[in-house]
Amino acid sequence: MSQFLESFVQTFNGFINAAGVTLQITLVSLAIGAVIGLVVALMKLSSIKVLSLTANVYIGIIRGTPLIVQIMWLYFGITQFIVLSAFWAGAIALAIHSGAYIAEIFRGAIQSIEKGQMEAAESLGMTKTLAMRRVILPQAFKRAIPPLGNQFIIGLKDSSLVAFIGISEIFNLSMSQAASTFRQLEFYTIAGVYYLVLVIIFTIIVNKIEKRLET
Amino acid sequence: MITVRNLHKYFKDLHVLKGIDLDIHEREVVVLIGASGSGKSTLLRCLNFLELKDEGEIIIDGQQIEPKKVQLNKIREEVGMVFQHFNLFPHKTVLENIIEAPVHVKKINKEEAVETGIALLEKVGLRDKVDVYPDKLSGGQKQRVAIARALAMKPKIMLFDEPTSALDPELVGEVLQVMKGLANEGMTMVVVTHEMGFAKEVADRVIFLDTGVIAEEGHPEEFFANPQHEKAKQFLKNIL
Ligand SMILES: Nc1ncnc2c1ncn2[C@@H]1O[C@H](COP(=O)(O)OP(=O)(O)O)[C@@H](O)[C@H]1O
Ligand SMILES: [Mg+2]
Repeated sequence: MSQFLESFVQTFNGFINAAGVTLQITLVSLAIGAVIGLVVALMKLSSIKVLSLTANVYIGIIRGTPLIVQIMWLYFGITQFIVLSAFWAGAIALAIHSGAYIAEIFRGAIQSIEKGQMEAAESLGMTKTLAMRRVILPQAFKRAIPPLGNQFIIGLKDSSLVAFIGISEIFNLSMSQAASTFRQLEFYTIAGVYYLVLVIIFTIIVNKIEKRLET
Repeated sequence: MITVRNLHKYFKDLHVLKGIDLDIHEREVVVLIGASGSGKSTLLRCLNFLELKDEGEIIIDGQQIEPKKVQLNKIREEVGMVFQHFNLFPHKTVLENIIEAPVHVKKINKEEAVETGIALLEKVGLRDKVDVYPDKLSGGQKQRVAIARALAMKPKIMLFDEPTSALDPELVGEVLQVMKGLANEGMTMVVVTHEMGFAKEVADRVIFLDTGVIAEEGHPEEFFANPQHEKAKQFLKNIL
């Protein structure tokens, strides 16, 4: 135990920096993922066949393949054509991944709004687009908060996979520490502790937002 | 004001409206009755194009409306609709509900819309509820807000689809009161309702719909005293 604490203290600064990277890539990828999710949700609900089909294919591919494959594919694929740092390749891969799940969350939330809301808006002369923007989406966003919070926590943990393209976030650091000290159990446990703390902080923030929106 | 000729509507194989002919004149109050499933809501919804007709003509203000060729939202501005379940926007206050369409559809400036909105709330007796959210209102109050919201667009005609059916009995009166007021001001109205008292007192004409056809129509006094159609007799017996 004292050995564990010693390792913990010795690597504290390093892990705090790494946690900063984890947080950064998580927030960037989820922000982009939320935008992708909204667009794809609207495409999927569109009456224009090409759009809904495209959305379905995208969601199908993302859900049907492992995240690590998507990260590798993007990192080694896209960097052949454009110069992209590992951080951005990882962030974009995570965004494209979470975007598919967030799209399903938004779609469900939009469809859960009573049909009468769209009808009332249309009967007042609103176009479908205006009604979507002014009436449906504000209500849908509110309903999407709990599942979104959940998806954000999944996204935070999923970000550990970008360790494999060399981004120095929490899991990457624990791998290199484990390799150089041969104290695998210790450093993977430490990694777990940092993730757990971040998840708890996320959960508290999400709960606060939920509470605020309830009133 | 509205002329309907040979209107047919199908839901897949279900033939819901079977050749409706109807003329609604300016300042006229028409009450539409009929058994559940006879097509009352569908007819009303066809009049503001929430459902699109399969056959026939709908002429509003002399203009024949072909849904694919015109902007339906422009026509809907002229046709107000009140729903059984109110359909207020829960994320907006009472006043925001009312000014939403005037400001964002008609592009009226906000101060003017607010002024009109408050006047309308005064009219429906809810001046003190301006900043309240719908979930804090009783059913009767919600429906009065919904009426004010529709009126805010200054429609030429108002459609009511069972506006009091979802209300507790003691709240029905306050909504009917507002509707009577409107009728007295000369608003053109088509009302689906089971409130026969309202029909007798306010309607210029009663239309009895039976399985998608107008089976009988007439002045309320004659119709209620002496219905001709067998189904209409049966219907009135059941409802009274
Ligand atoms: N959107 C719809 N899809 C399929 N069937 C419908 C739809 N709306 C109404 N119907 C059917 O059409 C018939 C008439 O319905 P409606 O106009 O609501 O009757 P009413 O308002 O007189 O009770 C009913 O049999 C109903 O089930
Ligand atoms: Mg009905």
